Amino acid sequence: MIGGRRPISGRKPGDKRIRVERPHSAYFRYSGPGQLVAKPAASKPRTPLQQGIQRVKQAVFGRPLANEEEIGERLPKKLALPIFSSDAISSSAYATDEILRVLVLAGASALYISIEVAIAITILLTVVSFSYRQVCRAYPSGGGAYIVARENISQIAGLVAAAALFIDYIMTVAVSTASAVSQAYSVWPVLYDIRIEIALASIALITVANLRGLRESGNIFAVPTYLFVGMALLMIGLGVVHIVTGTVPTLPDPAYVIKPPNPVEALTVLLLLKAFAGGAVALTGVEAIANGVPAFKPPESKNAANTMTMMAVLLGVLFIGVTFVGNRFGIQPTTEAGPTAIAQVSSAVFGAGSPLFVLFQISTALILFLAVNTSFNAFPRLAAILAEDGFMPRQFSIRGDRLAFSWGIVVLAVIAAILLVYFQGDVHLLIPLYSVGVFVCFTLSQVGMVRHWLTVRESGWRWRLSINGLGAVLTFVVLVVVASAKFTSGAYLVLVLIPLLVVLMLFIKRQYAASATQLAIQPDFVVPTPSRDERAIVPVPSLNRAVVRAVNVARSLADDVLAVYISSDPEDSAAMREQWSKQVPGVPIVIVESPYRALAGPLQAYLDVLDQAWPPDKPEPITFVVIPEYVARHWWERLLYNQSARRLRSMLLGRPHTVVVDVPYRRDEPAKFGMDVPEPEPKDVADDGSSAGS
Amino acid sequence: MADTSAPQFRRAVVALSGGRTDRSIVSLAAEVARTGRADLVGVHVVEIDWTLPLDADIAGRDEGAQRVLDIAEATAEAAHYRLETVLLQARDVGAAIVDEASERGADLIILGLPYRRRFGGEFTVGRTIPYILKNAPCGVWVIREAMPEEQA
Repeated sequence: MIGGRRPISGRKPGDKRIRVERPHSAYFRYSGPGQLVAKPAASKPRTPLQQGIQRVKQAVFGRPLANEEEIGERLPKKLALPIFSSDAISSSAYATDEILRVLVLAGASALYISIEVAIAITILLTVVSFSYRQVCRAYPSGGGAYIVARENISQIAGLVAAAALFIDYIMTVAVSTASAVSQAYSVWPVLYDIRIEIALASIALITVANLRGLRESGNIFAVPTYLFVGMALLMIGLGVVHIVTGTVPTLPDPAYVIKPPNPVEALTVLLLLKAFAGGAVALTGVEAIANGVPAFKPPESKNAANTMTMMAVLLGVLFIGVTFVGNRFGIQPTTEAGPTAIAQVSSAVFGAGSPLFVLFQISTALILFLAVNTSFNAFPRLAAILAEDGFMPRQFSIRGDRLAFSWGIVVLAVIAAILLVYFQGDVHLLIPLYSVGVFVCFTLSQVGMVRHWLTVRESGWRWRLSINGLGAVLTFVVLVVVASAKFTSGAYLVLVLIPLLVVLMLFIKRQYAASATQLAIQPDFVVPTPSRDERAIVPVPSLNRAVVRAVNVARSLADDVLAVYISSDPEDSAAMREQWSKQVPGVPIVIVESPYRALAGPLQAYLDVLDQAWPPDKPEPITFVVIPEYVARHWWERLLYNQSARRLRSMLLGRPHTVVVDVPYRRDEPAKFGMDVPEPEPKDVADDGSSAGS
Repeated sequence: MADTSAPQFRRAVVALSGGRTDRSIVSLAAEVARTGRADLVGVHVVEIDWTLPLDADIAGRDEGAQRVLDIAEATAEAAHYRLETVLLQARDVGAAIVDEASERGADLIILGLPYRRRFGGEFTVGRTIPYILKNAPCGVWVIREAMPEEQA
């Protein structure tokens, strides 16, 4: 064998051949001239501990996926509708409750106005969905509020939209999870006491699923969404039949009913606006289709716009239907522990405890859980876009083993879980924080579109501008209404958080910009040969093999090598000097007495003194501090050595003109790095493990 | 009645020239090998001139030669099949492929043949393929690429 080449005889004497080894092939693959692609083996953990962690990770999250394994499927409308609309459609499960809870303050008779409030909200939904149809057409690559506001208004407006979106996504997870759990304990009240545990478990489950790289697989979404829509339409239809035929069942008062206060409040415009603000939560998630236009089958924009209309029609019908039937059936708002409005309607229509009632409640809980997943897709993507733009830490733009933006997923899950625990899983306490961010996004997005049409002025721009203009005005008015109506019950937090997040993002951008400026080199700059002097300092704890190896490395780095021995015992110092000069004659040693037994401080001070003694007319030299370090073979072995080398290294990192060189010494391979080190007798090897200063 | 089942083999040596036909023959070999779970060995031979010693450090340093095998391996992987790769240096490509196939107990050699015309317009198969057809102890498949449109 000659350097990886093995001669093999052929069948004939002249047919000898050489088999050439390909050492790279286990780890890499050539993909072009001078270009290698790493294979999975190259990323394999090497130590048993790392391998164990990897096995556990793979069991939980699945095997790592290569970049080319990313799924780029295009969705037909029938699958895109459930995927992008689960968030919006699911809001019909709790929006009616929010209206009733406000109106009840004006007495039971005021509950009848809920239908008018629902109609007003549906008119707003119509305008908003028409406006977003324009976004679908104008931004075939995905028109999230951040992109539309950034491109058409300003960077700051984009960041405000992004901050509002972040809050929106976090609140979607918290509210939808809490609401899904509330649907479950509407059927089985015993679950109320463990609602937080159920909510946290479900968030953990969906987090793991997303870290595994759960894609918006159509079928996962299609079945529960269409089941919910189908059953809700059936429920509304049967409810209307009861109303028309005059066979409305007499409902007993639900558990935990909210009784009107005594005396009741007057039914003022302010109370109506508050009810409107509460019910406006039905519009959350409407923008999801505009964000995901590229996922549609061609023609993307047209399909997305049509799906937007279908979604708006479904949401409007469900919302008005549930409110109308509930209104005529005389359902009442309940406290958090009681059944939801939609549960009361389904109980009345299908029969309490009937299989249809249970199935409907399960489908409601499922669609709410799926709405959570919409945020788990959108939040990490937005964070990644902002990270690429320099407004978020870069970690957010890095895909994990399963091609998911792991940082974004984990951060979203943690914040939503904290909110759920803090608000005890109470949907009604969470909702005031929800709608404000949503309407900030709507408004900025619509204003951005108005600017877009004014700039582009393509065919039909006046008509499109007027739609977006109307949307902008209406959503702004609703934003003001929602923010003022819910200000004291939590909306103020969002109004404080949005500017804080914007300032934070600007701060991050400035930091990245500053470091980029410092690191940048001019395109025409040619790197000259270094002309600075170099010197190497080797801190030595004793004379042993690790130190000899470090001295040899230092000699290969610089001509000017100096050993520094920090000693706390003068007698030791003398012995060390004698031994050093005898065994390492070519390298001078400086002994620094340290009566206070400190190691790092005196060494650093000595380096400072060396710098100060350098001739001022010459450029500062590069100082290599070469640290000998004994590498333990096992984790428990590390306990036997103090970690002075590590401390020294971390102290010197960042010191100007200083390069820290770590020279590891492994006990099981003494000869490899030996160079000219004579093999000492075993008794000569220092028992202290040879770590600097050990 | 004609036998329409896929042809079977246990181990095939796929001769890789680094030319246009490599991808197609590897894909085809992977597809056919899957039915009988046969082993595939991709062999690329770097011909060493008589002016150099046979064991000169040529192929190991030749990125191009490594790339031929890496691309073949990636092509097989894309077809969800494993291809073992072997890099050889020899004086004669045909002899090296035949000897490698014999040593590995291969029952098939698969070769790609680009459609080439010699100066004067006559179709040519070169000298490696006739050598293998004449000397291989096992079956040989030669897969000729389609004739270019302008010559068809």
